[in-house]
Amino acid sequence: MAPVPDPNSVGGGAKRDEATTKVPSKDSKKKDDKKEEDLSEEDLQLKQNLELYVERVQDPNPELQKAALESMRQEIRESTSSMTSVPKPLKFLRPHYGVLKEFHLKMAESDLKKMLADILSVLALTMSAEGERESLNYRLTGSEGEIGSWGHEYVRNLAGEIAEEYTMRQGEESSIEDLMDLVQQIVSFHMKHNAETEAVDLLMDVEDLDLLLEHVDSTNFRRTCNYLTSAAKYLPGPDDMLVLDIAYMIYIKFAEYPNALQIALFLDNMQYVKQVFTSCTDLLKKKQFCYMIARQGITFVLDQEMVANEQDREALQDIVNNTKLSEGYLTLARDIEVMEAKTPEDIYKAHLLDGRVSSGASVDSARQNLSATFVNAFVNAGFGQDKLMTVPSDSTSGSAGNWLFKNKEHGKTSAAASLGMIQLWDVNTGLAQLDKYFHSSDNPVIAGALLGVGIVNCGIKDDCDPAFALLADFIDNEDSSVRIGAIMGLGIAYAGSQNDQIRSRLSPILNDAKAPLDVIAFAALSLGMIYVGSCNEEVAQSIIFALMDRSEAELGEALTRFLPLGLGLLYLGKQESVEATAEVSKTFNEKIRKYCDMTLLSCAYAGTGNVLKVQDLLAQCGEHLENGDIHQGPAVIGLAMVAMSEELGLDMGIRSLERVLQYGEQNVRRAVPLALGLLCISNPKVTVMDTLSRLSHDTDSEVAMAAIISLGLIGAGTNNARIAGMLRNLSSYYYKDASLLFCVRIAQGFVHMGKGLLTLNPFHSERLLLSPTALAGIVTLLHACLDMRSIILGKYHYVLYFLVLAMQPRMMLTVDENLKPISVPVRVGQAVDVVGQAGRPKTITGFQTHSTPVLLAAGERAELATEKYIPLSPILEGFIILKENPDYREE
Amino acid sequence: MLTVSVKWQKKVFESIEVDTLQPPYVFKAQLYDLSGVPPERQKIMVKGRLLKDDADWSKLGLKNGQKLMMMGTADEIVKAPEKGPVFMEDLPEEEQAANLGYSAGLVNLGNTCYMNSTMQCLKSVPELKSELSNYQSARTKDVDQTSHMLTVATRELFRELDKSVKAVAPMPFWMVLQKKYPQFAQLHNGNHMQQDAEECWTQMLYTLSQSLKPPSPSEDPDAVRALFGLNLRSSEESSETESVFSLKCHISHEVNHLHEGLKHGLKGELEKTSPALGRTAVYIKESLIDSLPRYLTVQFVRFFWKRESNQKAKILRKVDYPLELDIYDLCSEDLRKKLEAPRQKLRDIEGQKLGLQASAKSSSNGDDVKMTDAEGSSNGSGESSSGDQQGGAASHMTGIYDLVSVLTHKGRSADSGHYVSWVKQESGKWVQYDDANTSLQREEDITKLSGGGDWHMAYIVMYKARLISM
Repeated sequence: MAPVPDPNSVGGGAKRDEATTKVPSKDSKKKDDKKEEDLSEEDLQLKQNLELYVERVQDPNPELQKAALESMRQEIRESTSSMTSVPKPLKFLRPHYGVLKEFHLKMAESDLKKMLADILSVLALTMSAEGERESLNYRLTGSEGEIGSWGHEYVRNLAGEIAEEYTMRQGEESSIEDLMDLVQQIVSFHMKHNAETEAVDLLMDVEDLDLLLEHVDSTNFRRTCNYLTSAAKYLPGPDDMLVLDIAYMIYIKFAEYPNALQIALFLDNMQYVKQVFTSCTDLLKKKQFCYMIARQGITFVLDQEMVANEQDREALQDIVNNTKLSEGYLTLARDIEVMEAKTPEDIYKAHLLDGRVSSGASVDSARQNLSATFVNAFVNAGFGQDKLMTVPSDSTSGSAGNWLFKNKEHGKTSAAASLGMIQLWDVNTGLAQLDKYFHSSDNPVIAGALLGVGIVNCGIKDDCDPAFALLADFIDNEDSSVRIGAIMGLGIAYAGSQNDQIRSRLSPILNDAKAPLDVIAFAALSLGMIYVGSCNEEVAQSIIFALMDRSEAELGEALTRFLPLGLGLLYLGKQESVEATAEVSKTFNEKIRKYCDMTLLSCAYAGTGNVLKVQDLLAQCGEHLENGDIHQGPAVIGLAMVAMSEELGLDMGIRSLERVLQYGEQNVRRAVPLALGLLCISNPKVTVMDTLSRLSHDTDSEVAMAAIISLGLIGAGTNNARIAGMLRNLSSYYYKDASLLFCVRIAQGFVHMGKGLLTLNPFHSERLLLSPTALAGIVTLLHACLDMRSIILGKYHYVLYFLVLAMQPRMMLTVDENLKPISVPVRVGQAVDVVGQAGRPKTITGFQTHSTPVLLAAGERAELATEKYIPLSPILEGFIILKENPDYREE
Repeated sequence: MLTVSVKWQKKVFESIEVDTLQPPYVFKAQLYDLSGVPPERQKIMVKGRLLKDDADWSKLGLKNGQKLMMMGTADEIVKAPEKGPVFMEDLPEEEQAANLGYSAGLVNLGNTCYMNSTMQCLKSVPELKSELSNYQSARTKDVDQTSHMLTVATRELFRELDKSVKAVAPMPFWMVLQKKYPQFAQLHNGNHMQQDAEECWTQMLYTLSQSLKPPSPSEDPDAVRALFGLNLRSSEESSETESVFSLKCHISHEVNHLHEGLKHGLKGELEKTSPALGRTAVYIKESLIDSLPRYLTVQFVRFFWKRESNQKAKILRKVDYPLELDIYDLCSEDLRKKLEAPRQKLRDIEGQKLGLQASAKSSSNGDDVKMTDAEGSSNGSGESSSGDQQGGAASHMTGIYDLVSVLTHKGRSADSGHYVSWVKQESGKWVQYDDANTSLQREEDITKLSGGGDWHMAYIVMYKARLISM
């Protein structure tokens, strides 16, 4: 029943106002009068109608009341669709809010009262004071009708108030049942109206994410999960785990197994991984899962339950064991045409530095040859051929030996081990090449061969366990360099495997009073790598005892830092699990106590983005110490380890480090470049590049060295021309300083690592997953760099090879159903964050179309440019199996 | 009887029969037939264990169809070369210096950069070094005590520089220099004052020329004069000649290039006592070079006494100097005649180098060639008999000089700022000696030291004569 417009209303408005004087005060009346003049005829009429309804609502006649309320509801509903400004009915009703409220109180319990409560609830949207939650209160007393009929904004507001109310009631421990009903309604409304983010937010506020499972459907589960996974990064524990659990369940529910697997891997929950395998029935998809597990670099054994057929299982296990990695990498290299081996001179490009080149010395410099060895190893990593160590079959076998013997003493270790790097991932050929060095009479050469075996086997598993078979005999060799070679080789080959057999061999070394410190340090480190992120009690005990047994003098040694580091690696990313061990570390000798503390803290929270821990660590860096404590170095690196997980935290980390650089003490400044290197590893951000370039000319040579190494790290495997140019100039700037020049050479090797096909980034799968072994490798190098002179520039330069743990091809290789590479067009462009965006937004920008295999740079994403195939994983990185699209029609 | 498969390198030997009753050595012999790897070189891996020759098969738990892995090659075992390479780091310091290709820097002893840079420039003259090494340690009567000591100190300093890699602290030399020339020992606020490098240069050359005189009074000029001295003859009217160690490049508003400055300097409005004559000689405007030195030193007259501020002010004007200097038109008529033939020869050689026929004059050589050609023919070609003052009969001056060292000054006045020397090595590379620091430089950067800003600017440049054998 539309109200009959009163012909006299234009003149009578004021009169009527006076008649119902209760409502507007005199002041507001004046204002209204003024406004009234500006109102259009239509608006004026609306206003008068509403006023009329307000009056009638208070009429004792229920019929009239009902009619008025319904009309009022009608008016409000018609107008709430848009929310760019306060809707007119609400605006005009504002002055009457108080009146209606009072009247509502007086009303007897009835349907009408509920109806009025509904209207009041809507009015409270704009009228209610902050924190009063009147909207919610009226809603709860209201008619509980369809919630969405009042418009999105109303629902959104309600959701906010529910969250507040919930926290309050939690405090009072009162019932929340009535709220939950409302939540149900709201969530289902949001989920139906493309507002998944709001639904998730509300559920997170009321801590009942399980509800989500009921409401997701095949149209919105992707967006929901997408939001959940990205929100998890910003949630405090244990909420983040809960959120991911839900996301996992949703994915499983909708049979989106690759994503489910990703989350399972993120949670490091092998039960979930198994569930993915058992839930999925498609063998081809399982192969894809295996590729994903292989990339994460964890040890995973398939059982009968997961794959019934034995032959299939073997094929799948081969993929998990990374046996095909070398092949795929070489396919990529051949496609990009970079098979030709490069010499260190090709990398130095000394001819571009006219005049400044040091006059061609006729005598070999051991230092320079050593750097050439490393450059050669990193640049030709995985290609199986180079121009120093491997010799083409047609030439005489003399020259290979020659380069080896152009290195001095411990330099030969690195030279022999470099062969492992060149043959990386190709176990069979690599072992054959290394074989001849096993028969050498020179201990450093044998040590290098052992280390080389470890490197070749890095990330590759084989049933025959060749690395253990070959290295085990040398663990207790009388020569400590040979021992270190074997121990380090085992650490690299079995990183993350939690192999008990190796533990039983290495643990006794730790508590052997006769073992030299360096052997103990490397044993602790290797155990840390093998049991990375496992929280293994026994290993932790052994390392703790080893630390307690160290004498005061030994605690001052540079290598001692590997003991706390090994301990820390056990808890990599395991957050609270570290606490018991951290307590024990408080009883250590004070020389190492704080160092151990910082290392444990930073390892445990590595990759979590935990802001509180970042603050803790920053506070440590801000202290101005005078007693020569060295724990601030790991604190700075820890800062980067914790903050590196997601983009925002990363940017904040970079900014905080700039401050630390300006105000920090010298030993803090020395670690800052390394932290920057970790934050932007294989991701040459221009700003960071400039900072490091500035620091590479620092008057403190330690800072300069760290900055140079970090320049290499941020450009690792990118062939970045700008960094290459900077390093070239640095090589002429520091041509006289052997130590700095060595660092420059190493950095040059990093930048051209794998001729630009590799990455060191431990994060993969669109930055979601963190490979623990990769991070362990990088962190070890960084800790070694904290005392560059005694470790890398001393005789333990082979710690540089720990980086092999993080080396992965930055490729996307498509294979067909028989796992043979096929070439398809793909678009590669900058990834766009599409979380919470409506519709089907573009996921990449500024793309170019290439044919697979393609290289993916940091922050890039690929997208199939053809409909002919369907990728079996939504994350196009690494190995991707393509299935032919049955619906595809050739045009 | 079990069958196993063995993976070796890229090959797989399928279904090999294992006789578990025989020791594994037999099995290895089987593999030897297949792979050619002798049994003692074979490493066979069974589930993380190596197969020992005398192992018990039953304990290995071998299964039918199991995969084994063999490592081993028949390759020659690498042996260390009998004579290992010699590494730079192991060499004694002298040899490291030799490998470096240039000698060490000099430590600044407190405002002694003027001395350091002067000595580095002088050291770059090999002839001077050899003269010094022939110098007797015992003093002869002709030389006074302090000059003798300074000469010996110079010799020792050069020796020490040649054999060290790290910067040398020239303390003994510095003490002797102060003794000989007390003006260098001036103190200001308790520190030694910065001095004018040109003064140091001149005094050093003077001292060395005194002490390196041939023992008996003879007609021959002393070694230093032979190397650096040049005779200036005022043109036509006066036949007075004056022997100097350097040419001056006067800098006025018109001077943009070394050549112009030299001309300006030779016109000389100066009056001074000529030591050769023992009286004040009035120099008429134009003097010309009568004899050429092996090493031509040019001083840029950058400093002048500013009366108002009572200090030596500096002219910052940019004056370019070439890497190759031709002073033919500054020479006297007589000298020019002598220079004709060698110059012609030099041109021919260069022409040949450029692929031109010596006889055919290309147009690119231009007027210059034609002119000298005409002069040459009018003067006849009898120069070959004319004696050469400095060199032997074998090598002849050409009037063309190559830049070998530059001593630069940075700063606004002579008594402040910083002196640095830039010296060309025998290898053709330029080295900057900035006190204790030495660094390689590019040739094009050397010509950029011509002034016009606050960068290092050339103060003294030294050219080496391009000689030609006839």
